[in-house]
Amino acid sequence: MATEEKVLQKELMVFEQHKREWLQTHLGDFVVIADETVAGFYRDYESAFKAGLSRFGIRASFLVKQVWAEEPVYLIH
Amino acid sequence: MKFPFTPTSLLQQGPHIRILISATRLEVDEGRAIGLEFPELPVRALIDTGASLTIINPQIAATCKLRQTGRQKINAVGGEAGEYPEYASAIAFPGSELPSLDTTRVVACPIIRQPFFACLIGRDIMRKWLFKYDGRSGEIEILV
Repeated sequence: MATEEKVLQKELMVFEQHKREWLQTHLGDFVVIADETVAGFYRDYESAFKAGLSRFGIRASFLVKQVWAEEPVYLIH
Repeated sequence: MKFPFTPTSLLQQGPHIRILISATRLEVDEGRAIGLEFPELPVRALIDTGASLTIINPQIAATCKLRQTGRQKINAVGGEAGEYPEYASAIAFPGSELPSLDTTRVVACPIIRQPFFACLIGRDIMRKWLFKYDGRSGEIEILV
């Protein structure tokens, strides 16, 4: 079984490769990526997740990631 | 929906509610059709206006077989900064009229050390609510 750090590593690389381009066209949207396949862009996490599940099935891994120029750091107080 | 406490318990423990965490509704339904089981776990959750995102204890993700969909950068008071796995989940509110969240993301982070809570409900879920906190009477109210 993949270690936690390696889960979705390939998908994250695909995201980084396309990020500059997507910032122009899909800023703030959620992209769905499985392996090297980009499944689409969605306005919210829920829609993106459902689309990923529908496209890739219950056994496949896929990344759901919002397109931002800078990765947000979420604060927990 | 009102949740009664005493002023003292609200002061000491903070506003908390019982929730049920599981894989998303779609996964549970599809999984059942092919013989996969996704456990549902009852936990106590602190409603935390100081949390940007909803946080769970990492053990919950493993127990409920949640699907990882990414990673999030978290900076917690106390120095637990880092990247933590993000999962898709469903959250229900048993014993209340609050509508369930069939697909919502949670981040597994070991900052929750207290045995009392296994989840922090963050502002990502609270943005769907009107939340009233009455420290004088010891009552909280959540309106959707």
